[in-house]
Amino acid sequence: MKQTANNFSATRIQLEGVRKQAIEMGRRRLLVTGVFIMAAFMAISLRLVDLMVVDSNELARIDRGFKAIQAPVSRASIVDRNGVIIAISLPTASLYSDPALIQDPHEAARRLAQILPELDRQEIYRKITLDKRFVWLKRNLSPDQHYRINALGEPGFGFKHEERRVYPQGPLMAHVIGLTDTDGKGTAGVEKYFNSILDENVASLRLSLDVRVQSLVRQALIDTMTEFKAIGAAAVVMDVSTGEVLSLVSLPDFDPNTPGLASPDAIFNRVTKGVYEMGSTFKLFTAAMALDTGAVQLDDGYDASEPIQVARYTISDYHGKNRWLSIPEILVYSSNIGSAKMALDVGGERQQSYLNDFGLMDPAEIELPEIGKPLLPRPWREISTMTVSFGHGIAVSPLQLTNGVAALVNGGMFHPPTILRQVTGATVPGVRVIDQATSNSMRGLMRLVVEYGTGKNAETAGYMVGGKTGTSDKLVNGAYSNDKRIASFVAAFPMDKPRYVVFVLVDEPVGIKRTFNYATGGWVAAPTAQKIIASMGPLLGITPRVVVASNENKKPTRKTFMRDLERALEVR
Amino acid sequence: MLDIRYGEPSLTLWQKFWRINWLFVFILCLTASVGFAMLYSAADGNIDPWASRQMARFAVGLVLMAGIAMVDTRFWLRYAYVIYTASLVLLLAVEISGTIGMGAQRWIDMGIVTVQPSELMKIALVIALARYFHGARLEDIRNPLYLFAPLILVMLPAALVMRQPDLGTAMMLVMGSGAIFFTAGVRMWKFGLVLTLSIAALPVGWQFLREYQKQRVLTFLNPESDPLGSGYHIIQSKIALGSGGLFGKGFIQGTQSHLSFLPEMQTDFIFTMLAEEFGIVGALALLGLYSIILIYGIFFSVSCRNQFGRLVAIGMTTTFFLYVFINIAMVTGLIPVVGVPLPLISYGGTAMLTLMIGFGMLMGVYVHRDLQINRRSTEYDG
Repeated sequence: MKQTANNFSATRIQLEGVRKQAIEMGRRRLLVTGVFIMAAFMAISLRLVDLMVVDSNELARIDRGFKAIQAPVSRASIVDRNGVIIAISLPTASLYSDPALIQDPHEAARRLAQILPELDRQEIYRKITLDKRFVWLKRNLSPDQHYRINALGEPGFGFKHEERRVYPQGPLMAHVIGLTDTDGKGTAGVEKYFNSILDENVASLRLSLDVRVQSLVRQALIDTMTEFKAIGAAAVVMDVSTGEVLSLVSLPDFDPNTPGLASPDAIFNRVTKGVYEMGSTFKLFTAAMALDTGAVQLDDGYDASEPIQVARYTISDYHGKNRWLSIPEILVYSSNIGSAKMALDVGGERQQSYLNDFGLMDPAEIELPEIGKPLLPRPWREISTMTVSFGHGIAVSPLQLTNGVAALVNGGMFHPPTILRQVTGATVPGVRVIDQATSNSMRGLMRLVVEYGTGKNAETAGYMVGGKTGTSDKLVNGAYSNDKRIASFVAAFPMDKPRYVVFVLVDEPVGIKRTFNYATGGWVAAPTAQKIIASMGPLLGITPRVVVASNENKKPTRKTFMRDLERALEVR
Repeated sequence: MLDIRYGEPSLTLWQKFWRINWLFVFILCLTASVGFAMLYSAADGNIDPWASRQMARFAVGLVLMAGIAMVDTRFWLRYAYVIYTASLVLLLAVEISGTIGMGAQRWIDMGIVTVQPSELMKIALVIALARYFHGARLEDIRNPLYLFAPLILVMLPAALVMRQPDLGTAMMLVMGSGAIFFTAGVRMWKFGLVLTLSIAALPVGWQFLREYQKQRVLTFLNPESDPLGSGYHIIQSKIALGSGGLFGKGFIQGTQSHLSFLPEMQTDFIFTMLAEEFGIVGALALLGLYSIILIYGIFFSVSCRNQFGRLVAIGMTTTFFLYVFINIAMVTGLIPVVGVPLPLISYGGTAMLTLMIGFGMLMGVYVHRDLQINRRSTEYDG
């Protein structure tokens, strides 16, 4: 655009004006845009208020009103970790009578007795002629009975709406769930521990237990109990990284739907309330504390050729080798002598402190009212240190033992036990009790016990099971019995990165022909643990892995132990 | 040659750095943090897999934003059409060899990253239009024929994006451009005309929609007609919103979202989850944060002394606004489900990248606000 000097300034002024106008308009339009944007925001804000607070939208009420749509019951249901119902309250009607309103008591009693044959006609007659204004005739009618009685049209009969606790799983969850009385108040188990919370308006209480795992554990335990004619049995499955209990079975059990039929022995929770001298499974704790304090190294060992004599006690080996034993051998052959010597090297003070860390000295803190108190040697003498090292002179509950072993194999963290489902993936608080390195060694040692030692019967193809057997004589009238035993096995799998601990305890098994009359942990409890792992592994989606050549026909020596131990540790 | 120049002492990088509005950057960080918290919640209280990656992306985005903010506005003016053409070529490339994902071809595989050219186009279109109108006199704009070229600029990418098919982005491109047309001074009656024509064209356009798009529109008109099918998203979303109430159910406590009733809760429906867990109070608080960002955007635009910068700023601000508006309108059932993320909150790489580039340019306009650029000139020294 060529311009002459003369009209330059004029054009410029004119241009300035146009520019100004354009800028003014531009600014005005910017502000209009701004106002428009804010208006749009106001619109969505109003929409949100409408949807979220005013609640004019019918749909929006569904979620909030969900509880109202459900059966009008006041007590929350209890579900397993996958939402399967374990306990639920159903509304029912109960029949009462106001005798003053009964026109013809004979006829009324006759017709009611037809509908409720379990009631005696004379008894009904007596009740409905009492000089009262209220008398219960029958609690918890079935819907059909309710309907037919209502159809009688008798003004002297009335219904009170009540609710009834139903346990669809029957005896499966008996000891966890506990019991409720006729007024719906919890008297045992979760029902008691969470009584007030369940009565508040919560949606449902979600437990960590898995109905499927519980079912297969219970079946395996029933089979074992029957086969070995045992008087009782207990089993726990625990998630090692969270302390969540996946399964808790105590036999004999009962059906919480019919609490009247349950015997005190059946109601007794052997897993949390019962305390037992566990025997050799304690050697795991002894080995762990000896390695963790540095009192011994993995390739150290002890002379186990001679029984130890302390005062009037003699400590000898059950599977005696009568020679020097390395640390792996002490566990694999379950040497009492070796364990006792190891414990002496750790010392009584430190032993107690470790046992305390493993949660074995105080009652377990789990969300159940039935908790047994461990029995400990008082005072804790040197001989106590020795006997405790192989699980004698100390009694703990199966839950405590499982929990302690979980801390041994999970990398060394103690997580308090829980029967409540934890948030998936959330880190559960824990206390470090042993080093990661010690935990790694324990994994290897437990694997060796199953590969070569007393735990062979627990070997499950593809699952790298590790474990430890335990057998102890029961105290009967203050003396150890010769034929009454506790046989147990504690297993963890897969050993390269343990996920679960499985503990099986059988009370007073009797040896049978198949087991050459043995009734030890290795013969009774280890196969049960094997059955449990073989079925729960695939169920929980743990992929079995092809394991390198088995060790059949190979005579283990001290050298091969160390080599296999290293191999087991390397797998990680 | 008429040349209106005003001396502009060029700023050093250091000066530019300090001219960045750090309060605005802080508000962005605050908003993004709300997103991290929601992604943490969406993963049931885990930093993985979403929150951690989102944090990393945002951090990279912040650096990118600061870098772009210091680029001279005239650089963008100069290369506006080049950038536009490149984005258009990428869009065409998607059309030819795009990766198929989620039933819509939107991504192009660049080896290390997959980019969505439609996202880049949101930026490119804004600067191309700003460039076009930067050189326009008022009487040019009054001339309907003059508007023909920018309309082509808008319609080409919008049509391509529509074909992908991505209704949400197409809407954003058209509406974002509308804001630039409006700010540039296009007469109101022309908007009216375009609107009338579009409504008239609706029945024709309907035939070109994909089956699932038709389904979504029909479902939008009556979500209850198919509660388990296409209406599912929106019904579940409304239930979640309704259950949020005044203060919500608490962090990580949203039942609709955590029990997986709500689809895609870490991306398009994240606002619903926030509203369920923090209630109306939380939802309005987030809207408040967004409002502050938008007010800043308009303020940046108003305070700029060159037309190009003003238009770029308003274009970016409007684009950001459209993200927020379309997303929230979608989850509250005001418009059909179109798949637009909630900016700075939803999980996703490309949207975050686009936003941070957009914020970078917006901030650049503010940093160079005193720059005066000749209408005709695209030279560096103006």
